[in-house]
Amino acid sequence: MQTLLKILVRYSNFLVFIALEVAAFMLLSWNNVYPRSSIMSTANDAIAWQHEQISEIKSYFSLRRQNEQLAAENAALRNQICSMDSAKTGDTFHYVPAKVVQMTTDRLHNYLTINRGSKDGIYRGQGIRNEDGAVGIVRTVGRNYSVVLPIINTHTNLSCRFAKNDYIGTLQWDGKDSRFALLADVAAHMVVNPGDTIITSGLSPVFPEGIPVGIVENSVLKEGDSYYTIRVRLNTNFKRLKYVEVVQNSAQNELEELEHGLD
Amino acid sequence: MDWTKQIGRYILVMALQVLLFDQLQLLGACHPYIYVLCLLMMPITLPHSIDMILGAIAGIIMDIFCNSLGVHTAACILVMFIRPYLIGAIVSDKDRLNEQINLHTIGMEALVKYVVIMVLIHHLTIFLLAAWSWHHIGFVALETIVSSTVTILIIIGYNALKYR
Repeated sequence: MQTLLKILVRYSNFLVFIALEVAAFMLLSWNNVYPRSSIMSTANDAIAWQHEQISEIKSYFSLRRQNEQLAAENAALRNQICSMDSAKTGDTFHYVPAKVVQMTTDRLHNYLTINRGSKDGIYRGQGIRNEDGAVGIVRTVGRNYSVVLPIINTHTNLSCRFAKNDYIGTLQWDGKDSRFALLADVAAHMVVNPGDTIITSGLSPVFPEGIPVGIVENSVLKEGDSYYTIRVRLNTNFKRLKYVEVVQNSAQNELEELEHGLD
Repeated sequence: MDWTKQIGRYILVMALQVLLFDQLQLLGACHPYIYVLCLLMMPITLPHSIDMILGAIAGIIMDIFCNSLGVHTAACILVMFIRPYLIGAIVSDKDRLNEQINLHTIGMEALVKYVVIMVLIHHLTIFLLAAWSWHHIGFVALETIVSSTVTILIIIGYNALKYR
């Protein structure tokens, strides 16, 4: 007993070190698997508020470009209203405008924070788009702010298809350039041409079908491979991202319940 | 230097970290974590285990700002664990130390050794844990070299200005 105590005292610092590191790694894996703690992320009100102030200051330097973008977006929206009035389909999607408060684009795991949270009806798993195309998926929701996993995060998988022939693939990011992503799972028998348009597949309730994602930059089929390596130029300019829309699907809960019912 | 000064410096350095260095978008791989300055230059008066707990707290605070819960925490605990052993190995004249770690007390050569080793360990741990795979090892290496260089220059520059 006494020797055990002596050993414990002698190595107490090392034991504290091990205990702390184990706790840190538990936090790390818990955050990777189950990232719902809004207090411990930039969805935290105080942290997001501070990021919002910085982004306010930075936004003064890009006012002219912002104005041009907004004007263009207004025009596009007006056009959409016209076409929507004529075709009232059973669409269950609607959009909530949001502002990007904080964003990184040059890391492997980029995140962006938006100024909408649970009080605006935001849920984990909802899609984010802007006028150019798909942006990402909501990851952590706080009361007033949410953290979004953008396409340019190596954790993100987005189901996409070719506009020309409905062929499905998975969009992933390789961590290198925020302008490009890779489309996986496209079989070798497909004919892929540079310039082909990639859109969301509508297979998940996250995005409606047909939101533009990007265009094929180039495709490589290595000798003996049965799948293409396709580089897609993304429509969304993440470096200049400022205003986005949260895609809300009023049928999402129903769809998820149905899916869980099947398990 | 008493503890109010330490905390004051920590708040200032964190403000610089979040307001300036986290906003940098140079070269795509430059993410210096200068807040480690406060951990490296903390006086060596406290028990080793308390040092490691303070490191963990600084790490968690940084993690909240980076959406990377656990990454900075693990790196800071590691740095604070190594710290007394490294100081013991590098500093020969312990009497001059007077419990302070800076240019004035340990001299330029020891300071450079100390800062380079610690910052490299700290940044490499962070970028490896954040990548969480060997796929991006090239990018992690580049990120570590570029970011560590900036952090090292800033910490040594701070010492050169303040403790001439």
